[in-house]
Amino acid sequence: MMKMSSTKTLLTGNHAVAWGARLARPKFIACYPITPQTPILEKLTDFHMAGELDAEILTPESEHSAMAACISASLTGVRVFTATSCQGLLLMHEMLHYASGARAPIVMFNVNRTVASPWAFWPDQTDSVSQRDTGWIQLYSESGQESLDSVMQAFRIAEQVVNPVLVNQDAFYISHALEPVEVPAQETVDRYLPPFHPEHVLDPERGESLGNVVSPEMFCQHRKDIGQAMQLAIAVAQESDAEWERLVGRGYGIIEPYCCEGAELVIVTMGSMCGTVRHTVDEMRARGRSVGLLKVRLFRPFPVEAVRDALAGIPDVLVLDRNFSPGTGGVLHQELKSALYGMTDAPRMHGYLAGVGGVNVPPGKIEEFVDQVRRNEPAIHSVWTG
Amino acid sequence: MLEIIIHGRGGQGAQTAGNLLAQAFFREGKQVQSFATYGGARRGTPVNSMIRIDDKPIRLRCDIERADAILCFDRSLLDARLLHWADRDTMIVVNSAGLRENYSSLGDYRIYPIDGVALSQDHELGRIVNSALLGAFCCLLGSPALDTMSTTILEAAPVKQKRNVAACRAGFEAAMRQFVRNEPIREAEAR
Repeated sequence: MMKMSSTKTLLTGNHAVAWGARLARPKFIACYPITPQTPILEKLTDFHMAGELDAEILTPESEHSAMAACISASLTGVRVFTATSCQGLLLMHEMLHYASGARAPIVMFNVNRTVASPWAFWPDQTDSVSQRDTGWIQLYSESGQESLDSVMQAFRIAEQVVNPVLVNQDAFYISHALEPVEVPAQETVDRYLPPFHPEHVLDPERGESLGNVVSPEMFCQHRKDIGQAMQLAIAVAQESDAEWERLVGRGYGIIEPYCCEGAELVIVTMGSMCGTVRHTVDEMRARGRSVGLLKVRLFRPFPVEAVRDALAGIPDVLVLDRNFSPGTGGVLHQELKSALYGMTDAPRMHGYLAGVGGVNVPPGKIEEFVDQVRRNEPAIHSVWTG
Repeated sequence: MLEIIIHGRGGQGAQTAGNLLAQAFFREGKQVQSFATYGGARRGTPVNSMIRIDDKPIRLRCDIERADAILCFDRSLLDARLLHWADRDTMIVVNSAGLRENYSSLGDYRIYPIDGVALSQDHELGRIVNSALLGAFCCLLGSPALDTMSTTILEAAPVKQKRNVAACRAGFEAAMRQFVRNEPIREAEAR
């Protein structure tokens, strides 16, 4: 491993994301401000003003237009970054499908926030999990450091599989949390992310076109291609993480089993709550309780095989969902049930809606959930917690 | 792990104070996490800044449930709702010209009133009280060191850096005089 100088400093999650974007050297950024994402855009424009970010920054009239501009720019063959949150992400919804259909390898950062109505600003992942069918690769981060590192990895994944990537962090607990973050050296990032030169670009000199009217068979074939790119993304995400770890010493995996060996119960969750569960697992293990954490970092494509391997032989699994799909329950709970379906000796699966709307989930509550789960038969549907 | 809540009204600088305190502890080699929670903060509405300090990396991503120390920027916010985060051991510093005895009706709590407004006005800082209160808070908490806090303020304050540092030192001294050395409060201070 070649050592290059990095700097450890105090950054909020949002500023860590802006640093990640700056280091990736995007050529185009179209972005619309929204609480709690705004500090990302503010920091990027600070970098731009100081001459430290050589990108065109466009601030259009809406998120829908921002994503439309990102798609067009990406198709001309330049590296593109944007960031948003909740209502903004949802306003982009139509364009999200378009971006993956157009195979535009954009990297977008989303700060998870409650979806209106009613109006609120608390952490809740319904905004992004509800975009699971748009063809975007999705990663969820546990810390500001991981957010910065994930932006690097997202560009590498996006450009290798030619598909857009959405990286997510929870509002406030990460976005507005000031904590020590190591900012890698530019040379390290340049070694990791070579200049972007896609095979197909919109260029008047070359006369290619994209997005024409097609036959059903052509459309179907196109969807199969996207599906294949998604399947490929699992291995590419693993490789991208391993290579980043080789360069900077920090890797996260596409999933992370923590203290799962011989565990009676494993808690599965995504995003900031992984940190609180990790803390709780350490405390409970110290008192002789055999519990573990399975952190799902790559949510799309859902790493079914890796999750099955990690949970094989575990008696009870508790899924904690900081999101709510009315009429279904917790989206991660649904994903886990689907992933483990038909597995021999599959774990008993308990799904709790915990932290929906930003409700506080401290270690004490997580311990209560574990005790409840050990006492009760699993319910078919997700269970509300207070 | 040390868990601290700074409580104030939007615009009073509670979030800035939280970040300054975290920076000072970080400068002393500690692991820190400082975050604000607000439902779209507006000027005048209550806001919380939560700070965790530890020797090992902090993984918790949830609100503080019981604080080891509380710094309250506005005495009108020192009520049962704020005390929900406190117990008998919680060290509570409140920006107030009142006496400790004035707060005995709230229950058995360790409340230390510091006249942040008077201290700030002495240093021509108007109603910007965070430097003075941080000085007093560091004194009563026992860390970070006054010099670390002063250096952090000196580097971070956008304007009036020297006056802010002087207010921080004056806050430290006032807390030392009133509550550590237990010198009788002067009439001018007991406003």
